[in-house]
Amino acid sequence: MKSNHLFKKTAKYIPLGERAESVPEVPEGLLRRCNACKAAVFVEEVVAGSYICPRCGNYFRVPAYARLAQIADEGSFEEWDAELAGSNPLRYKGYGEKVRELRERTGLREAVVTGRAQIGGIPAVLGVMDGRFLMASMGECVGEKITRAIERATEERLPVILFTCSGGARMQEGIISLMQMAKTAAAVRKHSEAGLLYITVLTDPTTGGVTASFAMLGDIILAEPGALIGFAGPRVIEQTIRQKLPKDFQRAEFLLEHGFLDAIVERERMRECLAKLLKLHCSGGEIFDRNLSMAQKNTGQDSRREGMIYGDSSVSVHAWEHVQLARDKRRPVGHDYIERLFPDFVEFHGDRYLRDDPAVIGGIATFGGVPVTVIAQEKGEGTKGCIARNFGMVSPDGYRKSMRLVRQAEKFKRPVIFLVDTPGAFCGMEAEEQGQGEAIARNISDLFGVRVPVLSIVIGEGGSGGALAFAVADQVWMLEHAVYSILSPEGFASILWKDGSRAREAAALMKLTARDLYRMGIVERVVQEEGTFPKREGFSRETMDGVLAQLAKGIEEFMIQYGNLDEEELLAQRYQRFRKF
Amino acid sequence: MIRKLLIANRGEIAVRIIRACRELGIETVAVYSEADAGSLHSELADEAVCIGPGPSADSYLNMERIMSAAMITGADAIHPGYGFLSENARFAEFCERCSMTFVGPPSQVIADLGNKQAARNTMVAAGVPVIPGTDHPVREVEEGLALAADIGYPIIVKAVLGGGGKGMRTAFSEEEFEKAFLTAQKEAQAAFGDDNMYLEHFVEHPRHIEFQILADNEGNVIHLGERDCSVQRKHQKMIEESPSPAVSRELREKMGETAVRAAKAAHYVSAGTIEFLLEGDGRFYFMEMNTRIQVEHPVTEWVTDVDLIKEQIRIAAGMPLSIRQEDVQIKGHAIECRINAENPQKNFRPSPGRISTLHLPGGQGIRVDTGIYSGYQIPPYYDSMLAKLIVHGEDRPRAIAKMLSAMGEVIIGGVDTNVDYQFAILSDADYQAGKVNVDFLKDHEIGGVKIEE
Repeated sequence: MKSNHLFKKTAKYIPLGERAESVPEVPEGLLRRCNACKAAVFVEEVVAGSYICPRCGNYFRVPAYARLAQIADEGSFEEWDAELAGSNPLRYKGYGEKVRELRERTGLREAVVTGRAQIGGIPAVLGVMDGRFLMASMGECVGEKITRAIERATEERLPVILFTCSGGARMQEGIISLMQMAKTAAAVRKHSEAGLLYITVLTDPTTGGVTASFAMLGDIILAEPGALIGFAGPRVIEQTIRQKLPKDFQRAEFLLEHGFLDAIVERERMRECLAKLLKLHCSGGEIFDRNLSMAQKNTGQDSRREGMIYGDSSVSVHAWEHVQLARDKRRPVGHDYIERLFPDFVEFHGDRYLRDDPAVIGGIATFGGVPVTVIAQEKGEGTKGCIARNFGMVSPDGYRKSMRLVRQAEKFKRPVIFLVDTPGAFCGMEAEEQGQGEAIARNISDLFGVRVPVLSIVIGEGGSGGALAFAVADQVWMLEHAVYSILSPEGFASILWKDGSRAREAAALMKLTARDLYRMGIVERVVQEEGTFPKREGFSRETMDGVLAQLAKGIEEFMIQYGNLDEEELLAQRYQRFRKF
Repeated sequence: MIRKLLIANRGEIAVRIIRACRELGIETVAVYSEADAGSLHSELADEAVCIGPGPSADSYLNMERIMSAAMITGADAIHPGYGFLSENARFAEFCERCSMTFVGPPSQVIADLGNKQAARNTMVAAGVPVIPGTDHPVREVEEGLALAADIGYPIIVKAVLGGGGKGMRTAFSEEEFEKAFLTAQKEAQAAFGDDNMYLEHFVEHPRHIEFQILADNEGNVIHLGERDCSVQRKHQKMIEESPSPAVSRELREKMGETAVRAAKAAHYVSAGTIEFLLEGDGRFYFMEMNTRIQVEHPVTEWVTDVDLIKEQIRIAAGMPLSIRQEDVQIKGHAIECRINAENPQKNFRPSPGRISTLHLPGGQGIRVDTGIYSGYQIPPYYDSMLAKLIVHGEDRPRAIAKMLSAMGEVIIGGVDTNVDYQFAILSDADYQAGKVNVDFLKDHEIGGVKIEE
């Protein structure tokens, strides 16, 4: 009813009860406005939680000590260089007063807090920047505290975790501020050369000189969702190029897609994630040696002999059938093996140059308590999944991501396990523009120099050079109905006979089956599949337990056999393995 | 002191509260969502503030916006009505910290009574009967048998980790116990991997009997008799009446005294309700205490001649109760029917839409509390109750006759309603004979509709 206030108002006002002592008002500091959704939120609720807006889920910036409380084990944080202060090298007017005033207001001495803490019981050096202090810009003191913390971590052989947040260099300190980029980067390098782990967590905003120095140098680079990360700030870019930037530009998700982040981790999961990463790097080499020497007692099995058994038991079928089985949609793909063989797998994204290739899944896990790096070519599942994974056709950035993770494995002395399943390297304009040939060549070449054991398992299709870039290894294994060849039978027929339809005939000639390749010494082991014959549809996610058990046993034997090999010997054997062809 | 009161609610209860304020001479502020623009409560109040879009989370549940509306308009009290923020301890605390009078109990009382286990413990300590049960997990059938004898049959055996009816069996006698226990335990082991069980007295076909409480700041606590709300569909009350045909004067005194004791044990202030389950043999058990004014409060108002909303506001303003226990007399019989925009033939599917025609009954002993009018558009965001029809007669048969007469006059065009369904319940012989319990609608076919579990 659009009564338009036809009702008469309350006739007469009569206060009820005695006059109250206080007039209603919202006490100072009880509510604050969320800068994203504009809703008023209870400050206590936000502070007691993870500094996340209860209405819209927006992340507020976290003060350094609150962050330490969220991340470090309770009572474990021991602050270093708490009293360290910077100077005023440019004698910039008002700078001293500004810093004094900020110290009073924030209770901080400077824009970063560093020290030693335990996370999930594992000791680490922890540094947290605080945006309330001159936008956590990096001046002499910030650079010095970070450098000292990293240097001390190198001395004490501790991992370093830095939560970055910064507007960049501190303008008030001029060129001295610029030098902090070099100083901190140098300290990170020394820490890295000592074989130690360095993790950065980029929080909103991480820009300028901090991004362009220690923030982007982590072995593992994590970020909080939605964090602004970039070198030049968006306003500077817009003013310079006079162009409006897209909304998600320079956000964490944008960086992940462009290959610069290993992962985006929600704030509530950050502590758990860091604890897991530390555990996976817990003096990797030592665990590796110890576990293997323990396992070594069980050696004595002749893996070559077993390989022969697998090979011989294969039922004789036409090679073309193998090709079709290797391409079967129901066949398990990379992630199926990762989930089942490496349940604690942590995925790392990005090639650190251009993009994160979804056709490659790489990361770290443990196998029998030993940290390993696992890298799989991933075909995807279902139509949408296959499209998202580009059907397992790897792009140059996929090969570069793979090589980045291999180098990381080498640094932390982890064996590398490749899972090969690709119709071939991606064949497209972008791939050529970005140097597909160069990327494959680099992988093949560099793998010969990797000083940790490398195992490669062809689980489906091993298509040409795109597969070989994942198969320069100390041993190469194949599943019974996997195929591995110079190119697809269709391609073979089309090149040699100008008739792609003669693929069946080509397959028979090409020697692409596991049995043929085993006989030719291309592969060391053939893993028998269950239930494939006589029922063609046999091998699937549901029936892969037998394969998994054989792989698990085989990987254990591989690690025992190659794990304690002298590095030079390992490289020599790998050279000879391919020299013989 | 209350000079200006903001009503943090909508629909008929907001209208009801505004009317009480108009009569008391208190200025009113309505809040409304965008979907409620032009609604009766927003028109009737002296001022109205829009607090956001239709969905409740953005409007009637958004405490910061409601508080802002109160601050902007200079209100000194907030009445939360029922539903929405009415039993939200955080909102009550927010009001307390802002020196805003909350028409309801202190936040701590809401929080304490909202914690089921803590509330149960408080009641046990105060000697209020609760459904007897085991206080530790039981795994052996012999131990269970002994405990069951103490608790009293029938017994319901439940899995400690239970849920969804799995691992749950009823035993009506000692002979049935072993089988019930072992079957439930086996199910529990299979479903939850745990064979710990607990036993509870199974309250069979109970009535839902609740007592209205008023408590002031000086420690005066009175009860205003009971309401029988046994006619329910899936825990949604449909018809409420006072007094209950199953409660004698003696039982009323006993239950009333228990209810007052329960309210005192909870340090209760304001209007509240103690819910009991009443068994056929006259045993009753505390269920929970509702810390708000309830939908069905008018039936109590009619048989006691007390305006509960005004009394609630007076208590909030720091004034003592205006009546004593001995002044409370139950006169005649009152019945309330909830008229909902829903289709009983289609599993009570809500029926939002526009009310094209409307005729509501009136006359002696007939009251309609509603926020609808001809041309009213029912928003899809809120519950489907359109109106409450309340009648008062000198005894139950005459009240039923009056309700049938009044219900027969209700015409609501444009949307589906449950008017015919309610008419059919009132016409049912068992209902008219007062043979009603919480399973009534499951055990009776009403207008061709039977409610499934």
